[in-house]
Amino acid sequence: MAQVEETLKRIEASKGVIGTILVNAEGIPIRTTLDNSTTVQYAELLCQLSMLARTTVRDIDPQNDLTFLRIRSKKHEIMVALENNYLLIVIQNPCE
Amino acid sequence: MSSSEDKNKKRTLVLRPSSRAGNVSVSGRYGNQSSRTGSRKSLSLGGGSKVLDKSHVHIPRPAVRVFDEDNNVVTPQPLYQADPGTAQAKGSRFFMNEISGGSDQTTATGSFTMPFSKPVFGSSRISSQSTIESVNEEIEDTFSKRDQPISIPDVKLKKSTVKEPVTEEMLKEIIDVFLTETDTISLLDIPSAFVSVDADEADAVIERNNQYAEVCRNRMGNDKYVNRSVQTLNGAAKHKHVQSDSLVMVDAAVTVTTWDMFDTLCNLEQEQTIRSPQPEKTDFPEAVLDSSRAAERSMSVGSTVSSVSASSSVKDVESSGNTANTESELQLIMQSERFQHSLLVMERSILSNIFQPQLAAYRQLLVLEDPDSPVEQREEDTGSSPSPSLRSLWVFSCKLSRGRSISSMAWNKKNLDLLAVGYGQFNSGDQEPGLVCCWSIKNPTWPEHFIHCDSAVTCLDFSANSPGQLAVGMHDGSITIYNLQSPDKSRVISSHECPKKHLGPVCQLRWIQQELSLTGEDRAEALFSVGADGRICKWFVFGSVLNCTDLMMLKKVTTMKRPGGNKTDKTEENVLSVLTPGLCFDFHPAEPSIYLAGAWEGLIHKCSCSNTQEFLETYHKHFCPVNYITWSPLSPDVFLSCSSDWTIQLWKQDQLNPVLGFTSTRGAVYDVRWSPKWATVFGAVNEQQLEIWDLKTRILDPVIVQPAAPGVTMTSLLFVQQTDCVVVGDSDGQVTIYQLKNLSVGEGSQVNVLEDLLRSAASR
Repeated sequence: MAQVEETLKRIEASKGVIGTILVNAEGIPIRTTLDNSTTVQYAELLCQLSMLARTTVRDIDPQNDLTFLRIRSKKHEIMVALENNYLLIVIQNPCE
Repeated sequence: MSSSEDKNKKRTLVLRPSSRAGNVSVSGRYGNQSSRTGSRKSLSLGGGSKVLDKSHVHIPRPAVRVFDEDNNVVTPQPLYQADPGTAQAKGSRFFMNEISGGSDQTTATGSFTMPFSKPVFGSSRISSQSTIESVNEEIEDTFSKRDQPISIPDVKLKKSTVKEPVTEEMLKEIIDVFLTETDTISLLDIPSAFVSVDADEADAVIERNNQYAEVCRNRMGNDKYVNRSVQTLNGAAKHKHVQSDSLVMVDAAVTVTTWDMFDTLCNLEQEQTIRSPQPEKTDFPEAVLDSSRAAERSMSVGSTVSSVSASSSVKDVESSGNTANTESELQLIMQSERFQHSLLVMERSILSNIFQPQLAAYRQLLVLEDPDSPVEQREEDTGSSPSPSLRSLWVFSCKLSRGRSISSMAWNKKNLDLLAVGYGQFNSGDQEPGLVCCWSIKNPTWPEHFIHCDSAVTCLDFSANSPGQLAVGMHDGSITIYNLQSPDKSRVISSHECPKKHLGPVCQLRWIQQELSLTGEDRAEALFSVGADGRICKWFVFGSVLNCTDLMMLKKVTTMKRPGGNKTDKTEENVLSVLTPGLCFDFHPAEPSIYLAGAWEGLIHKCSCSNTQEFLETYHKHFCPVNYITWSPLSPDVFLSCSSDWTIQLWKQDQLNPVLGFTSTRGAVYDVRWSPKWATVFGAVNEQQLEIWDLKTRILDPVIVQPAAPGVTMTSLLFVQQTDCVVVGDSDGQVTIYQLKNLSVGEGSQVNVLEDLLRSAASR
C-alpha cells in the first residue's frame, strides 16, 4: 500500500507531468493534483472518450479489452490507463 | 306474431270481464266483428274512464292484464315506473293512453283529452268504472307484489321496498347482467274480415262500412275528435365522470452491441460457476456479484471476468455516505493489483516520453525528432570519420542506492532489460547491510525490485533455467537465492545455516549449465561459487537448504616454480596447505568441466570439475590479485584476465604465458569484459576511467577512454548483449549506460582477425 502511494507520488513528480487524476467507475475524480474545474473537465471528457474507444475495441472482438489510451497533441500527451472500476489519467508535457 | 297470438289466446282464456275494458290484446277471441267496434269503443271509453278515475287513485297500472293458463299474471311490466305524486299520475295517464289506444289511437286520444278534467261519461262508464276499480285494485295488489324484484335503473323512484344492506362485497361482486329480449307481445291484432257481397250479412257490413266512412269524413273539424300528441318521457340523464389513473409513459431504449451480448453470456456463466462452490465461501460470491453488479451499473460498459480478481481482495464494501464511499473506493482501487499494474505501465510510459531519445539510441532505433520542440543541437559533427566515443545515455540512480558502492552487476538471462545490481562496500570497510536493485531499462528512475540484504553484497547472478531466481553472495559468506517473481521476494533458499558455507566473503557466483539432462531440454544448472576462504564450491538444493560440495581448494603455491609444473614434490613440504582466497573464476564456454580460477597471489589455475585435488595448469603473470577472468565468447581458448597490478593480460589456453598484455594507466583494473559482438573489442574499468580497447585498431592504447567523475571510482562493467552499449557501475551507486559510437570495427565478429593477431603476437 505504501509502495502504491510512493509510486503514485513518483509519477506525479515526474518530469513534465502536469497533472494526475484518478477517476472512479462513475466518472467522479477521487484523487487529483489539478484544480477542481480542470479536473472535472478532464475526467468527464476522458471518460467519454475512453468509453467510446473501449466500445470500439470490444465491438471488433468482445474478448479483447482496452487497457491503455494515449493521446498525443501539440502541447501535451494525455495517457489514460483503463480498468473496470477506475481511470488513471496523466497529462504530461514531454518536451520542456 | 302467431306464437304471441297463441300465447295471448291462452292468456285470454281467463280474461276477466273487467280486463276487457283495457285489454287491447284481445284477438281472435273477440274476433266477431259485430262486437268489434263496439268493443273498441267500449274499450276506448273504458280506457278513458279508467284514466280519468285513476288520476286521484294514482295507480300507475296498465289497463292490460294478461293471464296465462295457470292464472299467473304475466302482464308485461311497464317500462316506466311512475313516481308517487302528480308527475307519476300524469305519466301513467299517458302510458295508459298508449296502451289502450291500439289501432284507434288517434280517436282514442281524441276522446281522452276532453274528459280529463271532468267526467262526462255515461252510465256505461260508471259500470265499467267500478269494475275497473276492482281490476285495478287487483292489479295493484299483484303489481305491488311484483314490484320488489324489479329494479329499473335511472328512474328517480323512491322505493318503499325493503332494501338489503349493500355490503362492500356486494359492490365488488361481479354481477352478470343478462339482457334478453322479451317475446313480442301483441297487444292488438284485429285482422280484417272479408264478406262476400252475396252473403246475408253483406248489407249490414256495407252499412257499417258506410257509417265508418262517414265517421272518418266527419272526423275533421268534429268536436268529438281532437288531435292530441303524446310525448314520450325521456329519462333523466345523469352525467357521470370517471377518471382513471393517467398512463405513465416511459421511453425505453436499448443499444445492443457485440460486447454487451458477450458480457451477459459471461456473467451468466460466471454466476453459475460461483453458485456451485457457494457452501464453501459464502461471502465471497456475494461480494463478487455485488461488485460486478455495481461495476455494471456504474460503467455502462459491462464488467469483465477480471473484475472478480480485483474485488476479491476486499470482502466488505462500505456504502455509508458519499465521502466515506469515495474514500473507501479510493482504498479499494489502490489496493487492487490491477492498479499497481496500471501505475507501472503509466510510469513507464511517462518515462519513455522523457527518455525517448536515449531509449531509442539504446535500442538502436531512429531517434524521433519532435517537430514542435526546438531542435537540439547535435554535439557530434557529421564529419566523414568521427572518432569513436562514448555517449552517456542515462544513469540508474535512486535515493536508495546513492552512496553505496556497486560491487557487481548481472543481466537477466531471459529478460534482457533487467539488470541486477549489487551494492556493497567496496573496500571492505564498515559493512552496512547490502542492497540488490533490479533495474529495468524501461524505468531509469526507480528500480523494479529491490531487496535489502543482511550483509554487503559481493556478487550476484541470475539463473538461466529459472530466470526469476537471483543468487546473491554476501560478505559474510552466505549465499541466498531470491525469487523475484514472487510478490514479496521471499527467499527461496539461504545457505546461512549451512555448515560448509564460505567462511569469507563470496567473491564470485555463477550459474553454470553443465551437461545436457536426460530430457534434452533443460541443461542441468548448478551454482558455483568461489570464496575468500579459498574454496570453490558447487551448490545444490537439499530440501530447503543449500548445501555444497567442494570442487577445489585453492592451495597456496608457495614456491613459484617454472610455469607448467605445479605438482612437484616441492609442494609436499607444506603439509598444512594454506588456502588462498579465490577472487574469480570462469567456466569454459564450450567445455563446461574446465574452468579457470584466479587467486589472490595473481595465479590463474586451470582446473577440472572431475579433479578436485590438482590443478591442470597454472598461469603465472600477475603478481597482484586477479580481479577478473573471462573467456572470450567468440574466440575459442582465449581469455582475458585483469589484476590489481594495473595490467590486463590476454592468454591462450595452451600457452602458459600471456600472448598480449595491456597497460594504460596506473590503476588497478577492477573489471574486464569481452564485447559480445566483436572478438577484438573488450572493455576494462580501472580506478579512474573506462577503457574500450579494440585490438584491430590499436594494441597499445585503448580506443575510447571515458574518465570517471571526480571522486568516484568505477568498479564494474558490463556489456549489453544486443546493442552497442556498456553499463558501468561506480562507487557512488550510479550505474551509467554509455553508448559506443563510431566504433568502426567492421563486419563480422572479427574472430579471424583476432586469431591472426594472436598468432602474430605469439610469434614475436
